[in-house]
Amino acid sequence: MLSMQNISKMYQTEMVQTHALKDFNLEVDEGEFIAVTGPSGSGKTTFLNIAGMLEPFTGGTYSLDGVDVGSLSDNARADLRNQKIGFIFQGFNLIPDLNLYENVEVPLRYRGIKSAERKRRIESCLEQVGLASRAKHLPQQLSGGQQQRVAIARALAGEPRFLLADEPTGNLDSLMARQVMELLEQINRDGATIIMVTHDPELARRAPRNVQIVDGQMADITLYQRNGVEPMQKIAGA
Amino acid sequence: MFLHYLDLSWRSFKRTPVVSVLMVFAVAVGIGITMTSLSVYHMMSMDPIPEKSDKLFHLQLQTMEGEQTRRGSPDGLPYQMTYQDAVALSNAPIPARKVPSMKAGFSVHMNTPEVKPFIETARMTNRDFFDMFNLSFVHGGPWTLEQQDNATPVVVINEEINNRLFGGANSVGNMIYLDNRSYLVVGVMKQWKLNIKFYDVNNGAFHDAEQLFLPFSLIAPFEIDTWGNTNGWKSEETNTFQQKMRSEDLWIQFWAELNNEQEEREYGEFLMSYMQEQQKSGRFDRDQLEYALRDVLETMDYRGVVSEDNRILVGLSFMFLAVCLANILGLLLAKFLRRAPEVGVRRALGASKTQVFYQHLVEVSLLGLMGGIVGIGISQLGLWGVRLTQDYYTELATMDITMLIAAPAIAITSCVIAGLYPAWLVCGTTPATYLKTQ
Repeated sequence: MLSMQNISKMYQTEMVQTHALKDFNLEVDEGEFIAVTGPSGSGKTTFLNIAGMLEPFTGGTYSLDGVDVGSLSDNARADLRNQKIGFIFQGFNLIPDLNLYENVEVPLRYRGIKSAERKRRIESCLEQVGLASRAKHLPQQLSGGQQQRVAIARALAGEPRFLLADEPTGNLDSLMARQVMELLEQINRDGATIIMVTHDPELARRAPRNVQIVDGQMADITLYQRNGVEPMQKIAGA
Repeated sequence: MFLHYLDLSWRSFKRTPVVSVLMVFAVAVGIGITMTSLSVYHMMSMDPIPEKSDKLFHLQLQTMEGEQTRRGSPDGLPYQMTYQDAVALSNAPIPARKVPSMKAGFSVHMNTPEVKPFIETARMTNRDFFDMFNLSFVHGGPWTLEQQDNATPVVVINEEINNRLFGGANSVGNMIYLDNRSYLVVGVMKQWKLNIKFYDVNNGAFHDAEQLFLPFSLIAPFEIDTWGNTNGWKSEETNTFQQKMRSEDLWIQFWAELNNEQEEREYGEFLMSYMQEQQKSGRFDRDQLEYALRDVLETMDYRGVVSEDNRILVGLSFMFLAVCLANILGLLLAKFLRRAPEVGVRRALGASKTQVFYQHLVEVSLLGLMGGIVGIGISQLGLWGVRLTQDYYTELATMDITMLIAAPAIAITSCVIAGLYPAWLVCGTTPATYLKTQ
């Protein structure tokens, strides 16, 4: 479903070249739940941004659902992103002027979905994250955990096949983090493919496959049983 | 999506009210100044009689002898005509409608102590004048051909004079006094509101139309002299009015109605033969005979009704608008770039660059619309100031429907131009840049 071959990303200033990703390879199958770990600055977020087509890569090939992303125009990438990918950010990234209903509505509007269908999806997604009764509230009237649930509802509303989560529990206390994680697991069980970047080894272990990135390169892949503690298999330097 | 973008624009306006109001004010001031000068220019240059401006022709004859030409005239032709040519041409068989005319003036009174006398301008002309210039009557009508030929002392007054002297009642059949003679009122004309006094621009193109109209044939028996310009080029005795009427002095305007090119051609041929005929009696003593027939718009252009100063003023006011827009561009840049993180989120959620670009253009258009509406208010103040300081700009310093529509249109276009760069900059935002920093 997602295939990255020799992906590299280089940031260049007048003085220095920085390789955020180097010869990065990854294959993701439909329905997988992958946790991406690694130290700060290792390239996790760069990988996620490239996977989500939020920034261009400088080398290699990337195909999503059989579409060669490198050959797409900016508008075509935006369209593909809107159709297939949902994002969950560490900082929630809700739009402060819009209430919960309107926040969840944003990706649907860009997809050109009719008003009645939008309404159905938004209400269903807010129901799914337990916030249907607060649809008219503004984000700042909610707790961090609730805001992240809205962000998840927004990601789900477009019925994406791919969910990219960047430290989705990073700004939450442990209780809230557990609730959000359970929600993500449920979404994965419902069929969505999830790639989650996290610092938290405990959360990472809940994903069946862990990918560790060090210095912009794949360090190893660890396979866990769902919610397992001990690894089933470890492939060093994969 | 357009309504959604409008909604987002209004929310954005409310989110930064001070900056937004500042921008609206900047647009409004620019539009206000621009529309003030543009409105005056528009009224000055607009077609004063669009239904037949291409059929009414001002006639000029080159009567000056030898190599003499009218100083200041673009083609050297005199702007006015001699009395003798005006009479001869108005009695000519063609065209069907043609009128000599001359500005005059009288002391108007009722020969009773109740009505205070007042000075009023008048136009001496023929009865065809009313039909040619599409004038309508409230009571009565033009004098008859018989009254015209017999030089009967009759007068057509306009509504304003009728209100003043007769309290608005039907005054046809009543007598009024002009100087020391009594005249029979034969018609009350509907008020003639003119932006440009195109039929006689010799004494101020923006002066009001005359209030009294009398037969041209009264000039000779009553020795009614002009209140306009008299241009003399020949050294000759003009001590008496009779001498002036026979002289080469230029003091009459002449208009002809020509309905097609054939009539123009035939009238041109007639004029050449008229001048050749006159040459036999010693007049038009020059190698090349010349005449000019210009329609209303050509006449306005030829006489420079809209001066270069007005054009420069309009240009300057647009430059002022450009300065206002430069300021708005700066404010828009600051405002839009501050919103880059939100744009990053929208891009991540599937908004294309084009959609983000349109959203911001709708926002600047809304800004332009509000600036345009406030700008209309400011330009009304400006036009009121112009009317207050310049009496004869009363009809000119106004905004017609074209200008009322043009104001927001210019404001929106200007704002869109100013907003293009900030909108382009913000839509080019790489979404990833801001998602971590939100």
